[in-house]
Amino acid sequence: MRILVVEDDVNLNRQLKEALTDAGYAVDVAFDGEEGHFLGDTEPYDAVVLDIGLPQMDGLSVLESWRREGKAMPVLLLTARDRWSDKVQGIDSGADDYVAKPFHMEEVLARIRALVRRAAGHASNEIVAGSVRLDVRSGKVTVDGQSVKLTSHELRLLSYLMHHKGKVISRTELTEHLYDQDFDRDSNTIEVFVGRLRKKLPEECIQTVRGLGYQIAE
Amino acid sequence: MQKGSIAASLFWLSAGWLILALVATAFLLTELYSRALDSSLTDTLEFHLETLVGQTLKAGDPASDVINIGDPRFERPGSGWYWAIRTEGGQLLNLSNSLVGSVLPGLKDPFDVAGKRSAVASDAFGTQMRIIEREISLYPNELHIVVTGSLDEIFELVDDFRGQALIVLGAVGVMLAIMSAIVARFALRPIGRLRRAVEQVREGETQTVAGIFPHEVAPLADEINQLLNSNAQIIERSRNQVGNLAHGLKTPLAVLRNEAQGARTALAKVVLSETDKMASMVASYLDKARAAARTGIVGKKADPTIVVSRLVRVMGKIHPNCTIAFRRPDASLPWFRGDESDLEEMAGNLLDNACKWSKGQVAVSMVAERKQDTRTLLIRIEDNGPGLTDEEAKKVLRRGVRLDEKTPGSGLGLDIVKELVDVYGGSLQFRRSALGGLLVELRLPAARLGGLVRA
Repeated sequence: MRILVVEDDVNLNRQLKEALTDAGYAVDVAFDGEEGHFLGDTEPYDAVVLDIGLPQMDGLSVLESWRREGKAMPVLLLTARDRWSDKVQGIDSGADDYVAKPFHMEEVLARIRALVRRAAGHASNEIVAGSVRLDVRSGKVTVDGQSVKLTSHELRLLSYLMHHKGKVISRTELTEHLYDQDFDRDSNTIEVFVGRLRKKLPEECIQTVRGLGYQIAE
Repeated sequence: MQKGSIAASLFWLSAGWLILALVATAFLLTELYSRALDSSLTDTLEFHLETLVGQTLKAGDPASDVINIGDPRFERPGSGWYWAIRTEGGQLLNLSNSLVGSVLPGLKDPFDVAGKRSAVASDAFGTQMRIIEREISLYPNELHIVVTGSLDEIFELVDDFRGQALIVLGAVGVMLAIMSAIVARFALRPIGRLRRAVEQVREGETQTVAGIFPHEVAPLADEINQLLNSNAQIIERSRNQVGNLAHGLKTPLAVLRNEAQGARTALAKVVLSETDKMASMVASYLDKARAAARTGIVGKKADPTIVVSRLVRVMGKIHPNCTIAFRRPDASLPWFRGDESDLEEMAGNLLDNACKWSKGQVAVSMVAERKQDTRTLLIRIEDNGPGLTDEEAKKVLRRGVRLDEKTPGSGLGLDIVKELVDVYGGSLQFRRSALGGLLVELRLPAARLGGLVRA
């Protein structure tokens, strides 16, 4: 899952990036509205954390512009203004959720998790594929009730496939959504991680669709 | 800083002039009257004088008994009415009966061209008299014929007249004084109106000093309005600055809090507790700024249907798992008497709570209630969540009490609702919903015009 953080406060930006990275997301950051708008326009993100008060171009304009251009990724607005009239304005501009500053980091993580899950069409916090269960909140994976230990990269990969279960996901898409823009995408790491995951999960869980990519069956 | 009164000054000024003018008028009138009487007396005396002259010439003897004036006043001694015929040397030739036993004073002025002279003098009894004397020639003598009339009678008449004039003019004066008091009141009425208009602004009933004023007062009203306007702008600016400052502090506070949260050091602990204090200070100052902004809510109203439909739409996005049943009320629903964003704040927090706690079902309805003469807007928000026991409901309604510290959100939601409900004099009640969860009844004052305004 790849997240874009647009926040002009350098420290808050870093904290968001760290927290989201720790939670298993690939994170890109932008420090002003124009940069954020450009990144959101050109890169495929699974969710965006967008501050309203930004230099160059304010958050709501960035958001409205994305929506006009047909970008549908879920957007979580960050703002100091927490009256409902402000929230209504934010949501009407196309935001999916709203967190008021000063916030607890867990809250942002919870909202992002929920947004990503909902965008993929899952109503509950648990995604099940056969005997494999993924708890979105804790990032815990069980097979037949038995807990499985995964590294963060493995979890990222599994999580993306589980969120989009039933769909064939190309290697390019995986690379795009699992790594931030600074990652060296020429490497063959996806195959390596798929191989490792297959050893920890039931054999038939991740299927290779020849020439197209990978898939976790419904 | 109060001294004197315009009305009193006006009154005393006009009353002072009135008294002066009236007293002067009284004396002037008396003087004119006395002159008129005197001149009429002189005419009478001249007539008598001519009669005496005629009789003397006819009789040919100034001492003749034929010479007489029919007026009985000339018979009574000491009446002040006398006549006498003397020689040039002062020898008395003839006299009225009234003059018997006393002597007329001699006149010293020269005779005028008509052979007459006149003077005022007292007789032996102290009676003031008008004296007219004429000189005629009756060969071989030069005769001086004198006629006098009492001035005392005239003085009495003049005194009477003066008394009456003073009474009448005094009455006129009192009437004029009352009128000038009324005029002063009347003239100062616009100032009273201006005062009431300013008072209304202070009470928050109107925004500006309204009304039509005469051109002496209108500039003052305009100046007050401009002062109010610039005042409002200054307040608005500083309020915005407080808001911006408070909102601006939230980002660094978030940074500090997040930074400290990860670490377990003593420094982190201090930072956490201090940032919490700062955050609550920021929140309380924002509350104060909002409360101050609320002093201008008079005359504002908001359509609850528009506000609630907007909130329902927004909730649908924030809580996608929650279905909100909202039956749009008809156009007769009264409007909320107050600020739109305040209504949005109350309904928004209650709806958000309902969605947060529900198991997927929330219902909103709005009706108008009428109790005696007051109309109330009742907003009912219910859910199928766990609800509250009576005890919990009581506890929650107390200020600053939270049931579950772990529920996401700042937890200020219900506090803000309670405060706003208090500000507007509404009420908040918790009941058990037919859906199984909590039913919140929010009662708010309705605007008088109600839905009529809605196009």
